Amino acid sequence: MVLKIQNVSKNFGGINALKDVTFSINEGEIYGLIGPNGAGKTTMFNLITNIFEPTSGEIIFNGENITALKSYKITEKGICRTYQNIRLFPQMSALKNVMVGGHCRSNAGVFSSVFRTKSQRKEEQELTKKAEELLELVGLLEFKDTFAENLAYGQQRRLEIARALASNPSLLLLDEPAAGMNEKETDSLYDLIKMVQSMGITVLIIEHDMPLVMKLCDRITVLNFGEKLAEGTPEEIQSNEAVIEAYLGKEEEEEIA
Amino acid sequence: MLADIINPYFLQILSFILINILLAISVYVPLSSGQLSLGSAGFMGVGAYTSALLTIHFDIPLIIGILAGACVAGILGIIVGIPSLRLSGVYLAIATLGLGEVIRVIFVNWESLTKGSIGLTGIPQMGREILNFAKGFGFDPAMIGLKSNQFVYLVIVLILLLLVIATIWFVVRQQNSRVGRSLSSIQMDEKAAESMGINITYYKVLSFTQGAFLAGLAGALFAHVMGYISPSDFSYHRAVEILIFTVFGGSEVILGAVFGATFLTLVPEVLRFISDYRYIIYGIVLIILMAVRPQGIFDIHLLNRLKGLKRSKGGVR
Amino acid sequence: MLLEQLVNGITLGSIYAIVALGFTLVFGVLGIINMAHGEIFMVGAFVGVMTTSVLGWPLWLAFIASIVVTGILGYLLERITLRPLRGKKGVSHLAPLISTIGVSILLENLSHHIFGAGNQPFRSSFAEISIEIGSITIYLVQIVIFAISILLMIGLTIWLSKTKAGKALRATAENLETASILGVDTKKIITLTVIIASAMGGIAGILVGMAFNSVSPQMGLSMGLKGLAIIILGGMGNVKGAMAGGLILGLSETFLVAFGDSGYRDAIAFIMIIFILLLRPQGIFGSKIAEGR
Repeated sequence: MVLKIQNVSKNFGGINALKDVTFSINEGEIYGLIGPNGAGKTTMFNLITNIFEPTSGEIIFNGENITALKSYKITEKGICRTYQNIRLFPQMSALKNVMVGGHCRSNAGVFSSVFRTKSQRKEEQELTKKAEELLELVGLLEFKDTFAENLAYGQQRRLEIARALASNPSLLLLDEPAAGMNEKETDSLYDLIKMVQSMGITVLIIEHDMPLVMKLCDRITVLNFGEKLAEGTPEEIQSNEAVIEAYLGKEEEEEIA
Repeated sequence: MLADIINPYFLQILSFILINILLAISVYVPLSSGQLSLGSAGFMGVGAYTSALLTIHFDIPLIIGILAGACVAGILGIIVGIPSLRLSGVYLAIATLGLGEVIRVIFVNWESLTKGSIGLTGIPQMGREILNFAKGFGFDPAMIGLKSNQFVYLVIVLILLLLVIATIWFVVRQQNSRVGRSLSSIQMDEKAAESMGINITYYKVLSFTQGAFLAGLAGALFAHVMGYISPSDFSYHRAVEILIFTVFGGSEVILGAVFGATFLTLVPEVLRFISDYRYIIYGIVLIILMAVRPQGIFDIHLLNRLKGLKRSKGGVR
Repeated sequence: MLLEQLVNGITLGSIYAIVALGFTLVFGVLGIINMAHGEIFMVGAFVGVMTTSVLGWPLWLAFIASIVVTGILGYLLERITLRPLRGKKGVSHLAPLISTIGVSILLENLSHHIFGAGNQPFRSSFAEISIEIGSITIYLVQIVIFAISILLMIGLTIWLSKTKAGKALRATAENLETASILGVDTKKIITLTVIIASAMGGIAGILVGMAFNSVSPQMGLSMGLKGLAIIILGGMGNVKGAMAGGLILGLSETFLVAFGDSGYRDAIAFIMIIFILLLRPQGIFGSKIAEGR
């Protein structure tokens, strides 16, 4: 078991964003987290990476309680994420963005950086090489010197994945990676995530694109109003009465609105 | 022959420019991780008074006094930095502004040590000390065709130039490394930087402390170039002036700080009549810059274009 | 003696509170620290000097003149230095801070050139009138200052809680986007806020002139820093905190001067800034965490 979410709740000023949610992810899985808007999916990511601490409950990663660990320490442990609203470093080249991702897997300090010691030069070379490989993996090698802000939307999403991969995660958190992508881009995203899985990385993904989720995920948890509604394989989820109702109910509301 | 070219007045302006470049860099470094420090004048004062008092009262060598000044300012930077870096940019700016004023008020009121608002005089002058030292070895400026005061100012300029080059070299190398990438990622998006595994507190304290150290160094040098200092040399206006050097020249690239300090020190010297209206012009410049070009004169795009220009010229040749 | 100092402290404190209210209003609505507020206050004080001493106007007219001039300055500040930066992509959150620093040194040095660096005397017709109660002396000026301050604070509180514009201002301070969705003309509200804040600074300027009988171009800087100290003490954007913080600073300064070392009087505010920011960044009365702004 890679990640275990144990009775996690999060309360924001009296409102329960998450209520007593429990699920666990096995090694090598692609695990989906779905649910209507405001169901608490991104909040779950923020709790796992400790942007907030949960009100109650525990988060166990590889057998270790990481609930109160600082964000950057959690990344060191091997969890890295992308953001729903893309948070790249805009005025930095694509290559450098990915190299920043490799920060916690390198250790040059001020002294060795300024005097360019042998080990520092070697480390920089390795970082650059690895960043280029990752850019190639996501198909952006030709844009390595382009500022992140000048990349197209779909490219930015893929760059964010490459940046996260540079931290050598054993668990990758993807927050709506297909948002705003067209069909072709979504297809190549599917291939990319499968490739990531084949590299031995476990994936936890939030996504609204249902066909993609059903095709991609091994197992899925459905959240609704902060509570776990259902858990199971894509087939089980698709035939689950409560899930269908939650989604259909939502769609009706949207039509009225 | 050399003696005709070397004009002490020009050399003195040059030494002010060099000190101001150090000061501008002391603001630039923390800014490169997104932190605005308005306390640079305070740190400068700490460096100046520390070194001046040590050398006046304990007769220690200048180089140790200057280093001590820079280190005390740096340590003060750490002490203030660690707790206030939990705060976001605007709060840090105010905390450092408050610190600068507290330091100045202490200089004014601790009369038994600092001589109050009159300030310290008789601070060993760097150039003269070196001249005396050299004379001990039987050296005379006339041997290279210089008058004593020409030699004094020339030595000062050379030492400052060396220090400025070393500082720029340090900052540039640091920037093009893992440390520099971390600093600029924090500047661009602090939360994203942290989730990439960067210990943002460490890097923020690091760059803030480097800024304080540099300001302290510049202050100590200032004391030993001028020979006298007073609290008004380190007032809020000085802090704003230093900020303008960096913001005007370009706060995203180190060339901006260098250019800003050079240009804004030279203009009032060359155009004397402007000198009186300097702060009025500074005010207008800040307002216009923020509205039109908040990144300052030089930015990465402009630098790239200049580089491109050079390359294409090379191609023709 | 003690009672007299208490009166002095409250007089000073109520002026500080008005200066701080101007800071807090702008911060509450815009999230910006207006570094030029102290200098707008100083201009208000000079308008008072010019109208009463040079033109010989009555005091009430001087107040109106000061409110008009600082109000216009507030409008210009918003139009020229703040609005162009708002909502522009890639503008650092430090830009408005730097821009208002620009305004502050511009105003300070302009007054320096116009009025000279020295102190200008401020004569009000009743400066020497005082009342003796038992052993203590209270000057009429102090009562006037206190009354005006209290009226202003009560007026502002009522305006914020009862009137439509005041409610719109509070909604805008709460959340700019939501307020604009709810149909609040946020542009108008922001302009109004900066004008009101500046006019309050102008009033405080005259009050200080009356209290200390002198004004100078440098007074804006120290008052600005004190105003900052107060809103940090009282919590950024907190109206009641600004009032309480003003009184605390006024009293502690007066008592330090009376019973301690007057040289460090100005340092109280700055030391306060540093300690509060380090120990309790949200301020004594603030509940919102300072981080994230």
